[in-house]
Amino acid sequence: MSTVPGGIPIPVDWYLYLSAALFMVGAVGILTRRNLFIMLFSLELMMNAVNINLVGFSGFHQNMTGQNFVLFTMAIAAAEAAVGLAIATALFRNKKTLMVDLFDTMKG
Amino acid sequence: MVEKILFIIFAVLTVAGAIGTITRKNMIHGLLLLVFTFLNVAAIFFLTQAYFVAMIQILVYAGAIMVLFVFVLMFLNLRSFQQEKQTHRQRWIALVLSVLVLVEFVAVLYGVTKAKYGFSLASVQGGYSPDQIAAAGGNNQVFAKALFNDMLLPFEVASVVLLVAMVGAIIMVKKEKHGQMATRQWEPGAEPALDVAEEEV
Repeated sequence: MSTVPGGIPIPVDWYLYLSAALFMVGAVGILTRRNLFIMLFSLELMMNAVNINLVGFSGFHQNMTGQNFVLFTMAIAAAEAAVGLAIATALFRNKKTLMVDLFDTMKG
Repeated sequence: MVEKILFIIFAVLTVAGAIGTITRKNMIHGLLLLVFTFLNVAAIFFLTQAYFVAMIQILVYAGAIMVLFVFVLMFLNLRSFQQEKQTHRQRWIALVLSVLVLVEFVAVLYGVTKAKYGFSLASVQGGYSPDQIAAAGGNNQVFAKALFNDMLLPFEVASVVLLVAMVGAIIMVKKEKHGQMATRQWEPGAEPALDVAEEEV
């Protein structure tokens, strides 16, 4: 068990397993769903998985840098949510749908 | 011991909420389950004694960002999306590959953390044990000191990123004046007239 004496009593591997599970759930959401909003939700899930890793290692290494980085991740997540929702609104206004495979104007 | 039991409970609830989020047909249900997931993640942060981050998780993530999502969702006609097919054609292969990657993650993590194959995770203690944090005035004090001393430049850069995202969001949502697309008012290859160029901007 990877714990530190006098530190957080939860082993750091548990954070890693939880984070991996949450990240892969988010990845499944991105890969399988057609709905643009569910894909944005899945992105948020994956970012939260990263945050769990950062906080877990912050407790394990007894270092504040991990927790500081969570703040930056949240700032980027807020920016991503704002821009993503703006793009979704603009797309919905032009195409009247949110299913991503119908946005094929550029034949990607 | 209590912390471990609580961690397991919250971890199971987190993953369950996440799976619920990506399987709902109704986007509002998915959004509420996502908020539930975020609150459980905040509880895990509390268990790690990262109190400030946990409060920010609740206030900013489960509060502000999710309210933004609710606002935009309410502008749309939600009923029309439920009758359509919800998943891509490649859903099964994506699911299988994702499960394989998860198995790979777990195998690698097990190998690294159990010190069976020559690796072991060593704690590099930077001098913030829970006792020292309590002596220095609590999590908020230590967090703020680390943030505004070591991380001052990234903090300022983050504020610039937020400003740029705000401006970009406003420009993208703004309605065009004439119809759907801005029409081109000059011939290709020719220079636009000055008044036209100003109007385009």
